[in-house]
Amino acid sequence: MHKDRYYDVVIVGAGIVGSALARELSAWSLRIAVIDRASDIPSGASRANSAMIHAGYDDEPGTVKAALCAEGNRLYRELAGPLDITLLNCGSYVCGVGDGDLAKLELLLDQGRENGVPGLEIIGADELHAAEPNVTPDVTHALRAPTGAIINNFEAVLAFMDNAQQNGVDLFLETELTSLLLSDDRGAVTGATTNRGVFFAPVVINASGTSSDLVAGMAGDHSFRISPIRGEYYILDKNYGHTVNSFLFSCPTDRGKGVTVAPTAERNLLIGPTSQLQESREDASTTAEGLAEVMDGARALVPSITPSMAITTFSGLRASADTKDFVINALDSPHGFVNVAGIKSPGFTAAPAIARRVVDLMKDRLSDIITFVPNRKFVPERRHIPRFESLPVEEKARLAAADPRYAQIVCRCETVTEAQIVEAIRRGARTVAAVKIWTRAGAGRCQGGFCGPRVVAILARELGIPPDEVTRHGGHSRLLSGRTKDYWFREAGR
Amino acid sequence: MSDIHVDVVVVGAGPAGVAAGIGAREAGAGRVLVIERDWDLGGILQQCIHPGFGLHTFKEELTGPEYMHRWVRWAHDAGVEFMTNTMVFGAYPDGSLDVMNPDRGVFRVSAGATLLAMGCRERPLGAVNIPGTRPAGIYTAGTAQRFVNMEGYMPGERAVIMGSGDIGLIMARRMIWEGAKVEAVFEIMPWAGGLRRNIAQCLDDYGIPFFLQHSVARVHGRDRLEGVTAVKVDDDRRPLPGSERFIPCDTLLLAVGLIPENELSRMAGAQIHPVTGGPVINELYQTTCPSIFAAGNVVIVYDLADWVSQEGMAAGRNAALYATGRLQAPVRRIEIAGGANVRLFSPHYITGGTDATIYFRVNRPIEGRCRVFASHGLYERRERYARPGEMNEVRLKKDALAALPDGATRIVVDVEEA
Repeated sequence: MHKDRYYDVVIVGAGIVGSALARELSAWSLRIAVIDRASDIPSGASRANSAMIHAGYDDEPGTVKAALCAEGNRLYRELAGPLDITLLNCGSYVCGVGDGDLAKLELLLDQGRENGVPGLEIIGADELHAAEPNVTPDVTHALRAPTGAIINNFEAVLAFMDNAQQNGVDLFLETELTSLLLSDDRGAVTGATTNRGVFFAPVVINASGTSSDLVAGMAGDHSFRISPIRGEYYILDKNYGHTVNSFLFSCPTDRGKGVTVAPTAERNLLIGPTSQLQESREDASTTAEGLAEVMDGARALVPSITPSMAITTFSGLRASADTKDFVINALDSPHGFVNVAGIKSPGFTAAPAIARRVVDLMKDRLSDIITFVPNRKFVPERRHIPRFESLPVEEKARLAAADPRYAQIVCRCETVTEAQIVEAIRRGARTVAAVKIWTRAGAGRCQGGFCGPRVVAILARELGIPPDEVTRHGGHSRLLSGRTKDYWFREAGR
Repeated sequence: MSDIHVDVVVVGAGPAGVAAGIGAREAGAGRVLVIERDWDLGGILQQCIHPGFGLHTFKEELTGPEYMHRWVRWAHDAGVEFMTNTMVFGAYPDGSLDVMNPDRGVFRVSAGATLLAMGCRERPLGAVNIPGTRPAGIYTAGTAQRFVNMEGYMPGERAVIMGSGDIGLIMARRMIWEGAKVEAVFEIMPWAGGLRRNIAQCLDDYGIPFFLQHSVARVHGRDRLEGVTAVKVDDDRRPLPGSERFIPCDTLLLAVGLIPENELSRMAGAQIHPVTGGPVINELYQTTCPSIFAAGNVVIVYDLADWVSQEGMAAGRNAALYATGRLQAPVRRIEIAGGANVRLFSPHYITGGTDATIYFRVNRPIEGRCRVFASHGLYERRERYARPGEMNEVRLKKDALAALPDGATRIVVDVEEA
């Protein structure tokens, strides 16, 4: 049987919001548990998104989104160094065609200035094409946002959680909330019941993304509803990562920000997303129609892009709330239940600012049930696993001399070494997908074709399990069905 | 760091690289080093345990490991040095390389000539753009082959194979031998991608259904693959509505093409041809970086390992000649071009001072008498058929090239119905 666990705070969901919040809360002497049903983090919207750190001109002034987006952008710049997150400070452009679009760009410019976004300006075609020669010549104007940036979204979530764990936070994966524990009069939260036992805590924070309205419902809060919006993407080969130098948007339409073209932090090219409202909270599959829409949209902006440049496709679900704005509140009843929900775009950008706002909210509203005493052992920084590929030759040589496993290449496409994979497993990676998230082994152009068998072998060795128990992403996603010749024994026994 | 200087360094110890080492030694290079990233020599042929190799070189039918064993023994006898489990992670225009392995750490290798023989890799799922989920159970045929033949594990029990490249056909049979079911092989083109003999020996002999002009339109399953939607396609490869059918399976193997692996060639600054994906070379196997040579599947994907070895050997010989200042000087520059039925070919230009063989593949099959030729009356041969799955070639003679008028700067190779 699972043993009962006692905490001050349980955070449901280890996406960017839950992770940033866990790290922010770990600066205080609180016992904190983060639970997530996935077998590795990030999952959900924090895993599959545009990896854009928005400048903050998109949202209507006065909304929570607008306030937190610009602030989040500033915080990432501040935190990228100490938390060792790859951030590409490349700026962004919204590209407009004709006078109709110019009016829209001017609106965004005004909005951005009101939101306190620095350095915004509208530039003409010549200046844009000098900076971005592969953009379609049709573009006549562009809104330049120098603070727009691109992040490695996997690293960002891992970094916040890694640092939170260093500061005493406990992370429980494959742990799914089944119900809330409430006091007899249902006026206060007393804990969370999961498939892995009960977590007793006076505070439960709902950061559960596309499930957040369901979790709120467990607390009797039916004030908002989440509609999952599917976004499909292509990742293109690194050989084309310099096709554009900054994050490129088309002019927004009623349907949203449209298809964007941008480098990733590792200099692949990312194109997408679509925006397809759907019922299912689970189904993040790609579709022929969606991928075609992405390709057409990207080619409208950068005509030289072709499907043959693709190395993979993916799809993610954004948690869009019918309130249109982020839902950040502490319920009066049950006391101790906090919503951090409906965090769709620019949610990833806003997350560090959301974390601070939630801590302020908790100090204000929950100080009767938890006490905020500074964590004197708080360490505000952490290091990622060395990114071997991007290190200078001398540094590669130093690492290889100190540990020969750094001279043992496992993933050829992304130059990932055995040492990095072993360290990822030490820090909690249990699946092939988690190793990829931590190290990029298998994220390159052959998509794990060469390194797949070796990663399976290393996981099996380090975890002390047979290779056929290694999974792709937890659950029933075993990669191998058994030893060869097993069938002979099965048949013979019949 | 302990740097190394050799006369000829070869990257890759597959069929091209091992033969290149031998060629270099035989042409008089002193120290010849072949660097291999895998633990063992032989490249992908280590996992090709089926017979069918060596018919041209050794006049007998060998398995991949047997075939490479003979070449490696020959290379040892010829005095070729090997370094295994060693990764080349940087390349420079002069051919020097950044290298590392767990024994020596990081070091630099420089050479009189450098020969690239990294081979090719398989196109992954993302490159063929199949929508759906991302469950476990989707492998390239070569990855599955490695699991089955080298690691001793089965990727699954009930497979569908997409694409009819040779590795996919070989793996269809292999899966049957290991007690798995193979539901079908789907090929999007109206003709097979692999060799005719593999269709007969790997599919027909085992009653595996083979569907031309079919594709996998969608994959299903959250954790493990649960099935695929197969669909018939029209002549423009567009799905035909109403032809969809669901096929339950736990494994999808992809045999949808091979791509020359040229990250090092790019790093070194060698020009890459947009159609082949390999470096632009001349008939001397020289890339646009004069001291860097390339041969085998890194240049253009061959159908038979024997040709790859043969080309590697010739390239190794030229690399040694270059390193010792004896390589044939270019006489002129003649561009090679493909005719109406030829898109993939190599080399892309010749220097006119020596015999030259142009390798190519036809775009569409000709199932009847045909004429294989080079323009200017330089070459002509009759064949009973020409198929995209098989490499073709024309041979240009040095004397005939010398007799070409000065105005002739382009030679077209093609195959036509006769």
